Amino acid sequence: MNADDWLRAFAVELHQRRVAVDAARHVVAEAATHLREGGGDPWLVFGAPQAYAAAIVDTIGTAPGPRPGPVRLHAQGITKRYGRRTVLRDATLTVRAGQIAAVIGANGCGKSTFLRICAGLISPDAGEVTVSGRLGYCPQQGGTADFLLPDEHFVLVGAGQGVARGAARRAGRAAARHLGWDAESNVLARHLSGGTRQKLNLTMSTLAQPDVLLLDEPYQGFDQGSYVNLWDQLTRLRDEGKAIVVVTHLLNQLDRVDVVLDLTPAQQGGRS
Amino acid sequence: MNRLVTVAEMTLRELARRRGVLLLLLLMPLVFWLIRRDSYVGQSIRALLLGISWAVSTAALFATSAARELEPRLRLAGYRPHHLYLGRMLGLWVLGLVISVPFFLLTVVDAANLRHGGIAMAMLCCVVVAAPFGMLIGALLPRELEGTLLLLTVVAVQMLLDPASSGAKLTPFWSSREIATWAVDHTDGGYLSRGALHGIVVTVLLIVTVAGVFAVRLRSRRHLHHAPLV
Repeated sequence: MNADDWLRAFAVELHQRRVAVDAARHVVAEAATHLREGGGDPWLVFGAPQAYAAAIVDTIGTAPGPRPGPVRLHAQGITKRYGRRTVLRDATLTVRAGQIAAVIGANGCGKSTFLRICAGLISPDAGEVTVSGRLGYCPQQGGTADFLLPDEHFVLVGAGQGVARGAARRAGRAAARHLGWDAESNVLARHLSGGTRQKLNLTMSTLAQPDVLLLDEPYQGFDQGSYVNLWDQLTRLRDEGKAIVVVTHLLNQLDRVDVVLDLTPAQQGGRS
Repeated sequence: MNRLVTVAEMTLRELARRRGVLLLLLLMPLVFWLIRRDSYVGQSIRALLLGISWAVSTAALFATSAARELEPRLRLAGYRPHHLYLGRMLGLWVLGLVISVPFFLLTVVDAANLRHGGIAMAMLCCVVVAAPFGMLIGALLPRELEGTLLLLTVVAVQMLLDPASSGAKLTPFWSSREIATWAVDHTDGGYLSRGALHGIVVTVLLIVTVAGVFAVRLRSRRHLHHAPLV
């Protein structure tokens, strides 16, 4: 494990221990500076990332727990059938401002369908969804235009809210930086790697300043650093009072969410 | 208005970057025209108009299919359905007119004794009808292959039907053929007025149908309620 790998593992440990995002960033930057200037093997200088993160937590403490606000999304009794197959049966979820909810379950249990129903993209056979505030949605795939530049995506989404072009570009680039991506390059969306394209997708969904953010497995193709940045970003948005729903099957991140909806009991073998 | 113009601009930007598509868009009418070049001049011009119609409707079909995944999220970002379909249509109309200019110049250079205003009007009819026609097929048929085959069928029917038959009037591009007859054969003004009327009626019908399909597809769902932000 080289210094970069060690730093990444250290950052993950800090996040998993709920160290405040800015404090964690500061500590990692300090460790990086120390290693760069002093040299040496991080395992010898700091020890194991887990142990050093635990020592840091003892020193600076963790971020205060989220204080949930008013209900932003309430999905009640959602049932969806495709032909004779019921993919969702009476699914219910309530997410408040300042909360992250995870929708989990096996492949085909209706996670993406549930999210699309919450976004109002498809209709359920039964049930209702109430949303307070503006909705943002990041699909699992697609949702970008192959022959447009990232900046043009930002302008297109921004225009929907009446945001001026320059402001939309700046907001998009700033949101992209939070995910560790420099969106200023003139590369068409179709030439972006899978992970970077997904960052574009995610950036577009946050650009309109949604109050409720629905993310369908937004980390596809992400490397570990990007994955950490994603959760940084989600934590930051949660701390700003957004309600976030993430479809995921990466259970190791569940300790960072406030609400879990497990759809596994629904009939399997359908769409996801 | 800004939303509409932005969608139109992005449609144009996307299509302008697809150089292969642009080349084929230009090649298709040119080939149609060249095939009929040695025969009667009216035949070559009618083939050229059919080529333009097919090229623009194919571009519209593919642009609509490509935007299928993007549009729902643009709807969530604040666009209304009419911003999306009218913006895209506007972009396609501009593209179609740009494509038509060199072919119009070709007819000016190649053939004398034509009513060039009529040729321009016939080309305008082709473009104005083709954009919503291709969009409608793209909106109704989710897969491009099916859409392309349907377009091919319509163009083949258009090509093979006797323009004087009553069935021909039901084809979308009959207007340009009538106007072209007026422009090439110096027939009476009835051809021009019938063609213009057919073009207007078909365009309006197509736009209204596209509007209906988009309104249904991108509608606000009944199960989703919006509560005031507390």
